[in-house]
Amino acid sequence: MFFSEMTTKDALKITKRRMSAYQAELIERLNAIEVDAHWFRRAFHTFAASFLVYYLLPDEEWITVTKMVIPVLIVAWMMLIEYERIRGGVDHQRFFGLRSYEKKRPAGYLYFGVAVLLLFFFFPQQIAIPCLLCASFTDPIIGESRYYLKKTHAYGLGFFVSFVFFAITWHQAELWVMILIGCAGAAGAVIGEGKKLRFLDDDFMIQMLPAILVLILWQSLLLIQVDILPPPFIFPV
Amino acid sequence: MEKRTQNTKENIRKLLLRLELWFAPVLIIAPLIVSMIFLQEWYSRGVLNGSSAFDGELFIGLIILFGNIVVDVAFLRSIRLLRKKKNDQHSL
Repeated sequence: MFFSEMTTKDALKITKRRMSAYQAELIERLNAIEVDAHWFRRAFHTFAASFLVYYLLPDEEWITVTKMVIPVLIVAWMMLIEYERIRGGVDHQRFFGLRSYEKKRPAGYLYFGVAVLLLFFFFPQQIAIPCLLCASFTDPIIGESRYYLKKTHAYGLGFFVSFVFFAITWHQAELWVMILIGCAGAAGAVIGEGKKLRFLDDDFMIQMLPAILVLILWQSLLLIQVDILPPPFIFPV
Repeated sequence: MEKRTQNTKENIRKLLLRLELWFAPVLIIAPLIVSMIFLQEWYSRGVLNGSSAFDGELFIGLIILFGNIVVDVAFLRSIRLLRKKKNDQHSL
């Protein structure tokens, strides 16, 4: 009896020792993983396209309220974090992938978040969807193709991709409307990405500039009794 | 023994501070899940009912899926390359 108790204790001790050694090794291995900041930023951009799931959420009353409150809370939380970071309350080193010029001003992710919030709340989905897709995909496409192509060709490619996003979303509109909106939206996205401003990030401009341009076009044509807005592209569940 | 415990604690602290490691799985998995939701919605509401009104879900699902796969592959490859480079440096 005593012998078997001793072996059980020993076995437990050995298992515990092995488990802690395994845990230590695992943690060391995880810590050894290095993440490339460049591709991390790109992945962050394409990840943002997932926010479009917002338009699939049902239109029930409590969900509609949640759809308003949660994005506001997320952006408010981001603002607080950025305020603390710029003030020095949170160490800059903890923010992986920040660019050097973002040390003393709000980081790109906050601009991105604010722009998405404005798109969701103040623009119809037919305008918001392609603008969000431009920020998610056109921005990284222009950025990457700049390594292989001339700058003008990279922006040309960006224009084409943005045009496709607008054309797909507006495919139910008349052909001239699809082309007009495609050109205006794509031009806005490319200018928003290309024009570097001191206080406004390109992640904000690439979404807001095409959105405002298309909104102005839509509202101007409404004044002469021409409604160009196609039916919604995504329907809530 | 105490030194090893100290090392483990230090490593855990480092790991908790490395937010990029916590974010990376979310950046990869979330878009894939969302694109599947879009494709599933297109199939269940559009294909099964013979309606083309839900083609928007199909387009968005495919754009999110392929766009993210392309970037995720490059992202994961960059992690592997960095690890390889580090191992090569150690072996020299």
